[in-house]
Amino acid sequence: MGEDVLIRVRAVFEKKGRAKYISHLDLNRCMLRTFRRSGLPIWYTEGFNPHPYYSFALALSLGYESGCEILDFNLNEDIPLDVIRDRLNAVMPEGMRVVSVAEQKMKITRIAKAEYSFSLFSENTSELLKDINELLESDQILVDKKTKKGIKTVDIKPETEVCKCEATEKSVDMIMRLPAGTKTNYNPNLFFEALVKHGCVPFTAEKICRTGIFCENNEIFS
Amino acid sequence: MLKDKIEKHLLEVQKPSRYIGGEVGSVIKDKSGIDVRFAFCFPDTYDIGMSHLGMKILYSLINERSNYWCERCFAPAEDFETIMRENDISLYALESLDPIKDFDFIGFTMQYELSYTNVLNMLDLAGIPIFADERGEELTQLVVAGGPCVCNPEPLADFFDLFILGEGEEVNLELMDLYYEMKKQGANRKEFLKKAAHIEGIYVPSLYRFNYKEDGTIDSVEALEDAPETVKKRIIKDFDKVYYPENFVVPFTEIVHDRASVEVLRGCIRGCRFCQAGFIYRPFREKHSDTICRETKCLCENTGYDEVSLASLSTSDHSEIDELLSELIDYTAAERINLSLPSLRVDNFSESLLEKIKKVRKSGLTFAAEGGTQRLRDVINKNVSEEEIMNTCRIAFEGGYSSVKLYFMMGLPTETDEDIVGIAELAQRIVDLFYSIENRPKGKNVQISISVATFVPKPFTPFQFEPQDTREMIEHKQKLLLDSVKSKKIKVSYHDPNVSMLEVILAKGDRRLCKVVYEAWKKGCKFDSWDEHYRFDKWIEAFRECGIDMSFYANRRFEYDEILPWDHLDYYVSKDFFIRENKTAHNAVTTPNCRLKCSACGVSKEIGGRCFD
Repeated sequence: MGEDVLIRVRAVFEKKGRAKYISHLDLNRCMLRTFRRSGLPIWYTEGFNPHPYYSFALALSLGYESGCEILDFNLNEDIPLDVIRDRLNAVMPEGMRVVSVAEQKMKITRIAKAEYSFSLFSENTSELLKDINELLESDQILVDKKTKKGIKTVDIKPETEVCKCEATEKSVDMIMRLPAGTKTNYNPNLFFEALVKHGCVPFTAEKICRTGIFCENNEIFS
Repeated sequence: MLKDKIEKHLLEVQKPSRYIGGEVGSVIKDKSGIDVRFAFCFPDTYDIGMSHLGMKILYSLINERSNYWCERCFAPAEDFETIMRENDISLYALESLDPIKDFDFIGFTMQYELSYTNVLNMLDLAGIPIFADERGEELTQLVVAGGPCVCNPEPLADFFDLFILGEGEEVNLELMDLYYEMKKQGANRKEFLKKAAHIEGIYVPSLYRFNYKEDGTIDSVEALEDAPETVKKRIIKDFDKVYYPENFVVPFTEIVHDRASVEVLRGCIRGCRFCQAGFIYRPFREKHSDTICRETKCLCENTGYDEVSLASLSTSDHSEIDELLSELIDYTAAERINLSLPSLRVDNFSESLLEKIKKVRKSGLTFAAEGGTQRLRDVINKNVSEEEIMNTCRIAFEGGYSSVKLYFMMGLPTETDEDIVGIAELAQRIVDLFYSIENRPKGKNVQISISVATFVPKPFTPFQFEPQDTREMIEHKQKLLLDSVKSKKIKVSYHDPNVSMLEVILAKGDRRLCKVVYEAWKKGCKFDSWDEHYRFDKWIEAFRECGIDMSFYANRRFEYDEILPWDHLDYYVSKDFFIRENKTAHNAVTTPNCRLKCSACGVSKEIGGRCFD
């Protein structure tokens, strides 16, 4: 089959603007068509029902933007990395853009956390900031998390790392790292729910964006 | 900005990507260079509308013109409609996200009768007056419609400024060109409509007056203000050269037919007497095999779809079908593309081609037998014999299939209880056939699904004169069929006869029905084709309040010499032919297909010669 060459590639891509409304399920189909349009020689799985092999490191919630989505795939031909990037970008949907293409360095299982930035808009941002700090300083942050086995109450406090929390006139802007990867996945919505449960002033969460994916030792996943 | 308003609520609704555009293949233009804006509206949700091939063709065609811009617009699902109404979001087009009320043309494609109330709802959501005569003097915001249902547009006549009859590829641009010229000259709406009425294929309903007899039938249809007495549909003469898009808008969310689609032929040679498409799309024209293959490759490369289907009324009737399929199967197999072949008869292919088809055909086996006995199939001119059905089933069972789907109609002209029992007997013989085959799929049980629709007589068919069975008659036949099925391997499903009744009324109705459609919509009717939304009780109320007898349209035989609501529209096939065919049907005599023998339906005269060389 001439499949002696097999290049393992990792692309980092943005999903912004209108593309944030593409659900994870739809993204799969969308990527398949993007690969087909690009004409890149993507490697197909073998077996009874061969299909092009590619995988996303983490799912992204509907409505979230991201600057760092990770897509792994294999090619049957040795093609320069910047050519791969350009050929994909020529046929990507609006709002999606490949930032970089590199060889796969780390194993997917090394992913431990993801970083998010977001703004919480409120009429009274100083009060909101106070509420947030109060919640962050409490002993536990208990939230109900949907799992495959049903709803489970979890304490997200030990694994929530706040990198930034600043009040502006209209919003409280935060950057937060939460567990992600094969074991535990928390997303900022859990934190928002905890805030509401805590009885904080009304707010709306906007401009939620995944800004980084990290290993346990805070090394950038690559 | 409308976009911000939309985005504010988008995450509250199901499948939000349907409402925000940005799909690959959508056409974005700079507004400052645009002279005419066209909102192509499909009166149903995105998932359904985006599957419609006609829209894809006309969208791309209009957008080929640099100073015209065609955009898409669909009916929002209920959750988003509520949000739109609560937050004052006017119905908008998906490319610019601009409100469609500011467009020059608001064009609907009318594919099925049960989408009529959606048109009213969309106009209302857009803030466009529902009635054409309330849209003022100014030349703008023209509400137009095309598609198969406009072959009898009367139940919609009050809501539209004009209808486009027949194929749109040429006439749409002619209409837009006229608009562009007259707009420049400062013409008003009325002046434009009067002029447009002289473009072949354009029907301006306000220029025609209906007079009725005391018994409710039509006395005369008067053409006013110099409008033509009859309006002729448009067709594309050289179908092989007709415009075909090189790209489709590729949706993010999954739609009903999520694939590339290439049209292989238009029209049909078969002449099944119940089938409107078989008559209104005449003459039969096909593309060359090379053209089809070229268009297939082009579309697959540009869209990235890994599935392509061939669109036609009957793909097997293509004169180069063997070489066409052979080449397409080779291409799609090499590129790992699924080839989907709906409406394909497999009983007359060569062994080698059949082997190839078997490899790519994953879908189940379906048969539109339509009638349960040979006599009834002769009445409707459905030239499928039991032998052919059995042969195909045998081939399929031997090839590993174990389930067959059969489509039938109930309430066909001349139908008796014997014909209904015949449906069950035919299904039983297929079950028996399965177990008689030595090399049938091992360890599998045969499964026969019978799907029975209620017959809906349609305009421009030999059965246009026929009454529909009453609900009591249909219920009796449904019960009879259920009682006749003896095997658990046979499953029967029905259509709701109340739905079919509304379909026939709207299909065969006249202008007096506009007020019923309006009242029904006012009462909350919309998405009538969706079981969960259909409110027959509301429709009955609307008919009663308007003083209109449903059975006058549904259950009455229309006389041969009666003026029918669509008699002033010319779809190339003559009324004389339909009368002749109707009589032949009642004698249970078949009419040969157009390739075997011309039956003088009137089409060849229109195209100046013969349909086939």
